[in-house]
Amino acid sequence: MKKILKEAVIYLVIAAVIVLAVALFIPAKTENVLSVAWNALLGAIKIMVSVFIFIGLLQVWVSTEKLSALLGKEAGWKRFVLSSMIPIFIGGSLFTIFPMLKTLKDKGASYAALFAFITAWSGKGPLIPLEIHFLGLKFSILRILLIVPFAVIMGLLGEFIMEVLDKRDASA
Amino acid sequence: MDVGNIYLIIAAGLLVFSVFKSKEKTKKALIVAGKSALTVVPVLVVVFLLMGLISAFLSKELIGQVLGDKSGLPGILISEVLGSIALIVPAAVFPFTGMLHEKGASYPIIFAFIMTAILIGISTIPAEIKFFGARFTIVRNVLTFVFIFALSILFGMLIA
Repeated sequence: MKKILKEAVIYLVIAAVIVLAVALFIPAKTENVLSVAWNALLGAIKIMVSVFIFIGLLQVWVSTEKLSALLGKEAGWKRFVLSSMIPIFIGGSLFTIFPMLKTLKDKGASYAALFAFITAWSGKGPLIPLEIHFLGLKFSILRILLIVPFAVIMGLLGEFIMEVLDKRDASA
Repeated sequence: MDVGNIYLIIAAGLLVFSVFKSKEKTKKALIVAGKSALTVVPVLVVVFLLMGLISAFLSKELIGQVLGDKSGLPGILISEVLGSIALIVPAAVFPFTGMLHEKGASYPIIFAFIMTAILIGISTIPAEIKFFGARFTIVRNVLTFVFIFALSILFGMLIA
């Protein structure tokens, strides 16, 4: 919590410095800069509030344990399909999914599942309302649609390369 | 009706449902929501100010020239490199790229930046090596970089 607050203060100081610098050196443009920033903030505020609530609910109700049980029990290709799709809808940062995936790996998840999972996670489901607001529905849908085959190929090719390299090491 | 209101109604509905299921968990969810707001909002304030600066000082023509369709394949590569090294939270990626697009940046360039910013990060590489080893990390990041290049081109063709 302390770290979050500290970072928040740092960013707000940076923001203040930017505003001051603009006001001091290019006063004629100050209003222009501030109005663009203000309108962007106003336009996105309701969406941001909803997104934060989605993130909170998701983290509490869809625990990583539940998710790993789901991915761990299913056999073979089913697990792989799940790894290529479910992560699209979960949030969090790479820092939160790495430890979870490490646990999965220790429980026997394949390289393919790991590569596919990380790739599919780039869907960033809880942020999609923000994406649609700033880039449009078409953009968002097409991006998500491309992520599924991307995750599948990453999984298959990544596993193939890892196995070739591991085998080479084993025979050396 | 304002789209923002629809999202708010959905979020409120889910919250009510959550309260019925468990007050304890809902409280935790709100704490998580508050923490992510505290993490993201200050960054967004800076991003929005940068958007203001860019729109005040860089012309549509200039951005279109550097990041537009004419920037071609090298433009996608540069965008990928920038996305990989940018220390930007995903929640800020969308507003930032949306503004660049309004100013003339092409779809493939924006797609390349978004995907690398989310999937490749100089800040996450040490953690990835620690958890999965150097080999896994190199294979994943290199493959991801290569595929995003191809996907950016495909994305540009499909969305046109």
